[in-house]
Amino acid sequence: MNFTLKIWRQENAKAKGRFETYKVENISSDCSFLEMLDILNESLISNKIAHPVCFDNDCREGICGMCGLYINGRPHGNDDGVTTCQLHMRKFKDGETIWIEPWRAKAFPVIRDLVVDRTAYDKIIQAGGYVSVSTGGVPDANSILVSKDKADKAMDAAECIGCGACVAACKNASAMLFVSAKVSHLALLPQGKVEAANRVQKMVEKMDELGFGNCTNTYACEAECPKLIKRSNIARLNREWICARVGKEK
Amino acid sequence: MNTLDSKIPEGPLAQKWTNYKANQKLVNPANKRKLDVIVVGTGLAGASAAASLGAMGFNVDIFCISDSPRRAHSIAAQGGINAAKNYQNDGDSVGRLFYDTIKGGDYRAREANVYRLAEVSNDIIDQCVAQGVPFAREYGGLLDNRSFGGAQVSRTFYARGQTGQQLLLGAYGALSHQIARGTVKLHERHEMLDLVVVDGKARGIIARDLTTGEIKRYAAHAVVLATGGYGNIYFLSTNAMNSNGSAEWCCHKKGAYFANPCFVQIHPTCIPVHGDYQSKLTLMSESLRNDGRIWVPKKKEDVEALRKGTLKPTEIKEEDRDYYLERRYPAFGNLVPRDVASRAAKERCDAGYGVNNTGLAVFLDFSTAIQRLGRDVIEARYGNLFQMYEKITAVNPYETPMMIYPAIHYTMGGIWVDYELQTTIPGLFAAGEANFSDHGANRLGASALMQGLADGYFVLPYTLQNYLADEIYSGKVSANSPEFDQAEENVRQRIDRLMSIKGTKTVDHFHKKLGLIMWDYVGMGRNAEGLQKGLTLIKELEEEFWKDVQITGTADSMNPELEKAIRLADYFELAKLMAKDAYHRNESCGGHFREEYQTEDGETLRNDNDYMYVAAWEYQGHNQDETLHKEPLVYQDIEIKQRNYK
Amino acid sequence: MNLPKIASISRKILVACVGLFLLVFLLVHMGINLCLLRPDDGEWYSIACNFMGTNYIIKVFEVVLFAALIAHIIITVALQIQNWKARPVRYHQPSKSKTSAMSKTMIWTGGLVFVFLALHFVNFYFVKLGLVEGKYMIQTEHALSSSELQAKYMAYTQGKLSPEEMATFQTEMEAVQGLMIKAESEGLYSDDMKWIRNLSAEDVKPVEGIVEGIEPDFYNMAFELFGNKVYSVIYLILFVALAFHLIHAMQSAFQTLGLNHNKYNKFIEGFSWVYAIIIALGFAAVPVYIMFFV
Repeated sequence: MNFTLKIWRQENAKAKGRFETYKVENISSDCSFLEMLDILNESLISNKIAHPVCFDNDCREGICGMCGLYINGRPHGNDDGVTTCQLHMRKFKDGETIWIEPWRAKAFPVIRDLVVDRTAYDKIIQAGGYVSVSTGGVPDANSILVSKDKADKAMDAAECIGCGACVAACKNASAMLFVSAKVSHLALLPQGKVEAANRVQKMVEKMDELGFGNCTNTYACEAECPKLIKRSNIARLNREWICARVGKEK
Repeated sequence: MNTLDSKIPEGPLAQKWTNYKANQKLVNPANKRKLDVIVVGTGLAGASAAASLGAMGFNVDIFCISDSPRRAHSIAAQGGINAAKNYQNDGDSVGRLFYDTIKGGDYRAREANVYRLAEVSNDIIDQCVAQGVPFAREYGGLLDNRSFGGAQVSRTFYARGQTGQQLLLGAYGALSHQIARGTVKLHERHEMLDLVVVDGKARGIIARDLTTGEIKRYAAHAVVLATGGYGNIYFLSTNAMNSNGSAEWCCHKKGAYFANPCFVQIHPTCIPVHGDYQSKLTLMSESLRNDGRIWVPKKKEDVEALRKGTLKPTEIKEEDRDYYLERRYPAFGNLVPRDVASRAAKERCDAGYGVNNTGLAVFLDFSTAIQRLGRDVIEARYGNLFQMYEKITAVNPYETPMMIYPAIHYTMGGIWVDYELQTTIPGLFAAGEANFSDHGANRLGASALMQGLADGYFVLPYTLQNYLADEIYSGKVSANSPEFDQAEENVRQRIDRLMSIKGTKTVDHFHKKLGLIMWDYVGMGRNAEGLQKGLTLIKELEEEFWKDVQITGTADSMNPELEKAIRLADYFELAKLMAKDAYHRNESCGGHFREEYQTEDGETLRNDNDYMYVAAWEYQGHNQDETLHKEPLVYQDIEIKQRNYK
Repeated sequence: MNLPKIASISRKILVACVGLFLLVFLLVHMGINLCLLRPDDGEWYSIACNFMGTNYIIKVFEVVLFAALIAHIIITVALQIQNWKARPVRYHQPSKSKTSAMSKTMIWTGGLVFVFLALHFVNFYFVKLGLVEGKYMIQTEHALSSSELQAKYMAYTQGKLSPEEMATFQTEMEAVQGLMIKAESEGLYSDDMKWIRNLSAEDVKPVEGIVEGIEPDFYNMAFELFGNKVYSVIYLILFVALAFHLIHAMQSAFQTLGLNHNKYNKFIEGFSWVYAIIIALGFAAVPVYIMFFV
């Protein structure tokens, strides 16, 4: 298969970026999208055309959350429930022009080419996305009972890989799905319930502070989440927020 | 040759760790604040160690090559984590977990370490549950278990097929908690490029900021290495793209012995290679072998027809199929351990019966199971795996047999550590896959997660404190010493040298070549002649690399090509050591299969008389022969047997 | 337009609550509008308008309603600005994510509704406030028996009026008589003879301050406005925008208030659609009726 690629190139965070056009030829349909970019980079180096295109990637099996490209108007490209590394070229038409852009959000500034800085996510987690326990001195695992239903729901939310596709997809660059996944995961479990009220407030305030937009319930996040995390988590976050604010003492 | 002191505490096996903790030195809270620790790596071992040390009150700096600690490759572990909780009342115990691990490791692991691992396994589960890890539950609200290879009990705790992810996120949460408290400082997108040794003690690291290319110095009273394994040396492996062995290697060059480098685990059920552009191999869970039957065609003409595409696998008659695992191992059949299953697949493919256009694949067939149990049952058990397979290959495994092939998965070898997880450089500790300690020559499923967290949560906080207790008088470590100057200068020179080659071939070109050499000669089956040849080829390739590699861009900006080149340069040296280690070990054990040493049935043949030791190698300089140090393995509490799966 | 210290979710919750309140008001308003369709010569409609215009509880609610509307607009605009700022560099390729068009255009459909409201205020509400001229009506009873005129008439019969007062009294009498004659000759009486209606500002001016109970004649204003085809078409288009706004608004408000349950989500979604369509059709019924059947 042959493709024309329009790729965002940007030297560094401060430089002005632009789209460059490259062609790749004889790509196998079994090739993954990132392998196609590998092939492009090999040829860019070998033929001394340009510095290879920088893009984040690591596990290449859809779990680390490192990769993330905005491909033809969709985060992680034109397939549902996959990360960019799991997207295969058979999903494209031969001869197609493919636009590749980095995640765009104020909170995710571009570092170079298609690489963005997602440390904002870490900062949100640091604001309260954990159970405050230190190592040791914890009760026996089976002394905390969790209903299967709750455990399953918590796991549904905990599957978030922190890739940023929800922010990339959202017209408001809102991180609500990400935040709500962590809030839900912990609020559903007795271990996390203890500090749930504090957690939801801290995380939401941090999210606002970092320059993410807010949720207008378009659910683009849900449509693009590679782990199929549900909008119901956002509703749960809202509930948690209301309970936390109503119950807050001065 | 000096003997290695593994510092195993006195007393009966079951009392050693208790005794150690009772007698170790402690640091009072006011002094803890004055002690700095560097942790390199944010996987299970690194994140849990940093979180625990931070919570105790030490000043911790943690380094991560990705943009977030949560990307570490521990996240990709699927199956589960072992613990001797005996929640299922099926006769499990610390002793049994210990025994299974030693036996699974083919009697090449250190007894005291493994016993301690089994002992703290239960604490890990408690800790993780308290952190909110959503382990699978039974309807009554109690924790659920599943069974895993190499054990007769159900002791594996799991969170769907993403146990590693959930455990890592738990540790990441604990780490984030400490970062918020200010006890831990996170340095993301920083790669360790050298260890700084001052007066014989590890005192800091040199790291490169991967965003700006800046070379930075960090000083501390101790350094913990938790940088994972070096499986990526084969280019194609189940490891993540950024996983690398360079941190280990630079420590090795500074005096840390490297133990059992040739012990590499090959996982039998991975999706086969489909083209030379391939960057990575995807693991399919081992659990598939519970219901899938592995076979290749009996007739060569069928093989040819399959490769040409004129014949479909479903059209091959039952009597023309060779279910080679069931044939060779009637008792265990398709459920033989990983190393055995991998070698059997290689044997068939080498004999010319491999399928796929490359000839390097075997079938994993569910048709019998679907007939017997119905498609629904199979879908409920393996639905997500089948879906993943179809996403990658565009083949529907309900209708056509899956194709699988073994792939490099885990490295049992690593930096040599004593009972305290301290390396031969005082003040340098190694945890998780980066050390060699607990898995011997072969790791059991669901044990890697256990070891990483055991080291980080429950071993290092004690043993590191024991070391740091003597450091309270040394004051703040300065990063302005001549040793730091020298280390930084070395790093700069090395980078300059790489950047100035300006050859014609890409880094990946060399890496792929190295991977092939390693796979062919230092892979699943090894022999003396092949290892020698491999060694020569590696040396030739290394020379070519240093003459002809092309790295575009500059060193003072984000430059993945340079990152890869630095890692590959180290891999060349490590590759030679692996070949040398494999060559010297004249026996077969676990993942190390020397074709000269096999039983009549083609099984591993250990030589306990001559090789029941840990081979710890000491670096002597580039292209100099490394010196071998032996740590004899003594098994007091266990009967040594030949593994038999017939 | 920044409202500091209020977290985005709190603002959204406010918007949702206010939005739901406005949704209820729309139903009431629609009910009153539909009175126009009754062939009772505006009897019900006038009663409803009168009630809305005079009841004290309603007057309190009027203030609340305006506050709600203004809050709704200000907060959503502030949120929208935050959202625009959250992505300073836009994508080159338009989004192909699967979302509903309604959800993505709330600020724009909201803007159109605002345009409509401005128009609506000029035509109706400002008339009520006396800022804009419209049509007026007077209760026949009041016109015939203005207490002030009665008092002056009594004084006149007793000869207590000064010559100046006499002159004014006569002018006033003539004005009222003029109005009565106009009503008689042009048939401005309502069917039940209780009202003189469809009066212009010019008609009313002479009797202002003499006759009590001059009220805006919304009934005839509505008929006149909707008789204008251009106005009706604009009105209909803006109500399509309102429907779009409402389809998303209701389910969105539920989600924002945390009311999401996989058992009821389909119902809430369906209900939002039904509600939006009912509102749009209900409001559209009046101009359509007037355009085609009057």
